[in-house]
Amino acid sequence: MEQLDREESEFKYFEFRGNASEYFRIWIVNIALTILTLGIYSAWAKVRTNRYMYANTYLNGSNFEYNADPIRILIGRIIVVSFYGLFVLFSQYLYKFEIAGGIALLAFILMPWLMRQAVSFKLRNTSYRNVPFRFEGKVSSFYGFFILHTILNIITFMLIFPYSYVKFKKLIINNAHYGDGDFEFNGKIGDAYAIYIQIFVWSTLFVMGVVASFGILGTMIGSIVDEELLTTLKETVNPEVISMLVGVGVLFIYIPFIFWNKGFIDGYFSNFVRENTTLNSSPLKGELRPFKLGVIAATNALAMFLSLGLLYPWAKIRYLKYKAEHTAFACSDYDQFESHGYVTGSTVGEEMIDFFDIDIGL
Amino acid sequence: MLVEAFLYDGKSSKEHEVIIDFTFGRRVKIASHNIDVALEEIEIESRLGNTPRVLEFPNGIRCKTQENDKIDQLLLDFNINKSKTHKIESSLALTLGSVLLTIGFVWFMLTGGANYTANFLANILPQTTLDKMSRVTLEQLEEHMLKPSKLTKRQKGIIQAHFDKLADGDKCYKLHFRSAPQIGANAFALPSGDIVLTDQLVALSRDNDFRDILGVLAHEKGHVVHKHSLRMAIKTGLASVIIGYITGDISVVASTIPTVLINSSYSRDFEHEADENAVKEMKRLGVSTIYMANLFEALEKKSKSKESNSSLGSLLASHPLTSERIEYFKRHAN
Repeated sequence: MEQLDREESEFKYFEFRGNASEYFRIWIVNIALTILTLGIYSAWAKVRTNRYMYANTYLNGSNFEYNADPIRILIGRIIVVSFYGLFVLFSQYLYKFEIAGGIALLAFILMPWLMRQAVSFKLRNTSYRNVPFRFEGKVSSFYGFFILHTILNIITFMLIFPYSYVKFKKLIINNAHYGDGDFEFNGKIGDAYAIYIQIFVWSTLFVMGVVASFGILGTMIGSIVDEELLTTLKETVNPEVISMLVGVGVLFIYIPFIFWNKGFIDGYFSNFVRENTTLNSSPLKGELRPFKLGVIAATNALAMFLSLGLLYPWAKIRYLKYKAEHTAFACSDYDQFESHGYVTGSTVGEEMIDFFDIDIGL
Repeated sequence: MLVEAFLYDGKSSKEHEVIIDFTFGRRVKIASHNIDVALEEIEIESRLGNTPRVLEFPNGIRCKTQENDKIDQLLLDFNINKSKTHKIESSLALTLGSVLLTIGFVWFMLTGGANYTANFLANILPQTTLDKMSRVTLEQLEEHMLKPSKLTKRQKGIIQAHFDKLADGDKCYKLHFRSAPQIGANAFALPSGDIVLTDQLVALSRDNDFRDILGVLAHEKGHVVHKHSLRMAIKTGLASVIIGYITGDISVVASTIPTVLINSSYSRDFEHEADENAVKEMKRLGVSTIYMANLFEALEKKSKSKESNSSLGSLLASHPLTSERIEYFKRHAN
């Protein structure tokens, strides 16, 4: 016991051992096989990718495991794609808006249930030391949450969104378990508001800074270039070309900014969730620097753009590595968790989330 | 053969350091845990990079080992077949082949490939399916957008006569006169051969004999002949699937911009093809294409506010710039 007490306060960092060249090979072979099998292999590709990412994430010397069955993923994919296909067919080509509307309405009504399924799928297919995670959130709680918070957000013009965010995290994390261990989320609503305000202020300042520096650059160039050159330039260069160049320039600033902002926001919220989550009272810790994560996201996007997508594996590994290695966990006893066994279930929710790229942020 | 591993019993998160002994009699033994099972009873996971290999034993026990090469040797020695994916991934030639295949496929799809696939699919789809789809579409349009035409008998008669000459006895072509205040001056063709002409477009005609409308109808017939609407639908679908898959999680920005550009350039190609058809048909019927140019000038005046004349606008416009088209028809008028 004495030894255990001594270990209690010691934070151990997650470790990510994946590397870009190894993942590049897995990624490109996945794509090639998916092309050759007309898409069917994509389910196996997903499992292989996730297995690689999970298996390279280590905590206290042991790694995680991804256990999903590709056949089930394939079935889930076929169901989601067929429904989406039917919707597109009826709404865009046959103009049967009643049927298309019916499909959309059905999807809308099933949404909370599918969300719950997706969360449950992710957790029960993740294991650590042969003990799987579990989710015990009730379908009724998901319906309750979505109905109540949709109404509240409409009435308050989204001002209540940070409150909804905290409630949603509670719904997910407080119902998550590792074996017989219980996760708990204690994030405060005031802190969530503070984060939203910080993100808003910093993002605005960042944009203003960029605009101002371009303004200064512009006037500097303007003062160097003399009038004569400027008028000859005006006469020789087509004004359309100039306006196009300006447009492309704005695009080059605007798009990296969107990616920077995405990473920046992810950094803040990842920290918020980590700082306020415990497993059997053992705390997690997040030490991400939002600004840096934003820079990683933006430079990743730039690298992918310039390499026509070929640097995607490098970018993905870089992002995940930064996030994992700035997360820590202080567990008193890694051996204490009793397993509830492996369970299988439907994959439709998971594939819907995947297909529409919905972020439930686990 | 001895393999160092960690054992997890599946009941708790305890970790045990063990030595697994694979014997020549195809038995697998872990002395410290009294495990002695046949090789066939354990499930060896396929290799994935250099991640620890998972061995599944009966009763929910799992072992993990870093000794991937030893396990691969074992599988070879005992003649056990496993997924060959790792072989592909570790071969330089095959990964390079995958890179080339992927780049080639994307390039092919975004350039001629989408066209080719779409044409192929458009040609194998039976005409009856196209007719059914068109009928449903037309019914929906009638219900929401179209109203009965207010053209005079004389106007309809002249235009119908032009149309009959164009159709040249082919029963699949049908002309529908409709008023469409919401759509405005327009004409459109369905894959079945049904062509809808709006009163609003006829109102813009500057020729008493409606020879400009003849040009428009010839243009629309071109869309039918080349199955443009179907090709368009297939291409849009293909492009979004490819871009969505390749970009993975690069969200909306990355995946919508290219589709917009591709789609607009595609439909520009289609419009041009239809214009060529119009010129061909008008020449066949001995009508000057100058009437078409005149009509476009009228159209341009009407929508001057909407259409941008800059080069960026031309890149994004889904129709070839009206001025370009006017030039085109004027050139053929001589």
